[in-house]
Amino acid sequence: MDFLTHLGMGFGVALTPFNLVMAVAGVLVGILIGALPGVGPPSGVAMLLPLTFGMDPTSGIIMLAALYAGTMYGGTITAVLINTPGESASVVTCLDGYQMALQGRAGPALGIAAIGSFIAGTIGVVLLMLVSPLLARWSLSFGPPETFALMLLGLTTVTLLAGEDPLKGYISMVFGLMLAMVGYDIISGDARFGFGIVEMMDGIDFLPAAIGLFGLGEVLAGAEQKGAAQLKTSLRIRDVLPGLQDWARSKWAIARGTLMGFLVGMLPGAGPTVASFLAYTVEKKVSRHPEQFGKGAIEGVASPESANNAAATAAMVPMLTLGIPGSATTAIMLGGLMMWGLRPGPMLFEKNPQFVWGLIASQYIANIMLLILSTLFIPLFVRAVRIPYSILMPLIVVFCVTGAYSLKNNLWDVGQMLVMGVLGYFMKKLGYSPAALVLALVLGPLAERALRQSLIISDAGIGILFMRPISAVLTILALAAIAVPLAKWGRSLLSPKP
Amino acid sequence: MRQADRVTAALLLAFSVAFSVGALKSYQWWGSGGPGPAFMPFWLGLVMALLASMMLIRSLKQQHAGAAWFPRGEGLRDILVVLAVTVAYVALLSVTGMIIGTALYLAVLIRYLGRHPWWLTLAVALAAAGFNWLVFVHWLRVPMPEGMLWTF
Repeated sequence: MDFLTHLGMGFGVALTPFNLVMAVAGVLVGILIGALPGVGPPSGVAMLLPLTFGMDPTSGIIMLAALYAGTMYGGTITAVLINTPGESASVVTCLDGYQMALQGRAGPALGIAAIGSFIAGTIGVVLLMLVSPLLARWSLSFGPPETFALMLLGLTTVTLLAGEDPLKGYISMVFGLMLAMVGYDIISGDARFGFGIVEMMDGIDFLPAAIGLFGLGEVLAGAEQKGAAQLKTSLRIRDVLPGLQDWARSKWAIARGTLMGFLVGMLPGAGPTVASFLAYTVEKKVSRHPEQFGKGAIEGVASPESANNAAATAAMVPMLTLGIPGSATTAIMLGGLMMWGLRPGPMLFEKNPQFVWGLIASQYIANIMLLILSTLFIPLFVRAVRIPYSILMPLIVVFCVTGAYSLKNNLWDVGQMLVMGVLGYFMKKLGYSPAALVLALVLGPLAERALRQSLIISDAGIGILFMRPISAVLTILALAAIAVPLAKWGRSLLSPKP
Repeated sequence: MRQADRVTAALLLAFSVAFSVGALKSYQWWGSGGPGPAFMPFWLGLVMALLASMMLIRSLKQQHAGAAWFPRGEGLRDILVVLAVTVAYVALLSVTGMIIGTALYLAVLIRYLGRHPWWLTLAVALAAAGFNWLVFVHWLRVPMPEGMLWTF
């Protein structure tokens, strides 16, 4: 059993006191961030990434991964208590969670969400552990065409699923790729679109961009609706434990949610949000009393909450094994990996086993922490939701400014962050997807290199993408994702809708 | 929203054409045995031009103006104040230094947005500025702008 020794080594890494503290801190801060309306997982990870620069990469990723799991649960608290999802993966949870809260059953709703998240997260890590090495070994045979096709698929599916308007999604994505062209060309060494400004020649850094687009942009968009929603509930710890009957109704919902969440989460592009919607729909279909959904059915909380946690874990699979993030949050983590000097992809498992297995083991620990902390500190989190926006917002801006500054200790990055923040505000208002932009910004240089290398080795021009089986399948899937908005656009021209 | 879409589409169209042309003019199209630095930017500009035209056509055919998306009145004023104060904060960081600048920034915005009593405003501002310094400068050893008034 090769992977048991690896896992043992992983626990050796994860159980060092410092890494343990990092996992706890990550979960705590994650729940808090997730609970704040308008600040979702990508913002949280982007804002806290600068904190990890001084650390060992392993400790850094352990904190970020724990944070990610924490935000997934934090979003649930506001969804249930004030009908405002803290992040998009908890939107469906509002449907039944808030109804349960109105019936005085907020406690069991949060409790089953915590238990579901724990089970889903733990099973998710087991699957992650089993699947990743296989996928990594398989992807070792990938050449530039496969890599490019995979990135194309990741970019197009994220874009397609990111928002309501696919056309605007594609515009955000291509804009991100264009921004990624700024700076030194990896192959020729030309400084592109630098306009003679030294800082521009270095390119547009993804971290200030991500902090601006997500952190500052979201906070600005919320500035108009200041004043937090008032909630009257005060929860005690023993209220959070669901009863036997709740458990009996939820156990299969949790199992189904976990499995669906993991499968969906592994696909590039489809993250926790899609997983939670899918799980809810399926649960309603298979339920013996579908009429109770939307009126406070506990399965309607258990299933999407399990699904989004399983998906958040599964999203790490393509990031670690292929170096291709499936969502905005993992895109930012991937950027972090590259900043720490690690090269994500199949070689990561060979070259940095400490890092990979430490991360996997810490995920087990983070899930246990999540279960304990979410029950223990529920009164604290409920209070945090009450902090008025007028105080929270300036604090978040300060955090964004400090984070952007700490990357290279210059104000240029802070300025870049501000510009991206304003851009993010307008994108949010006008229905463009910041997630697609950030993903494109991270993948842009890698995709360009893969494409140019493919064309160098090719005798058939761009046709090389279709001449190798794996890249052909991936490219065709990507083209299908592009065809959808095109077809929609064509139809809208034929029959002008009012 | 319709108006905004038209303006955005037109701007993007102009930008993408300039991007492609600029790439072709300034950089090599084909390098040693493969595509050069102008290759990818040129195609990206072209794709963006296509997407922007699609949006332009769509928004021109759209008959209803759509919902208002931009804040007016108090909402607009709040946004502008937040932005202006934030820009001033960043611009003055090298004069005020991190701690004083942050405390001032927080005090101004918290008071403006929430009309909280002064004691609460100042308590939050000072505590947060101190905490920020503690985490980043003291613990993580990130050098922060020092300022002219108070250096450390």
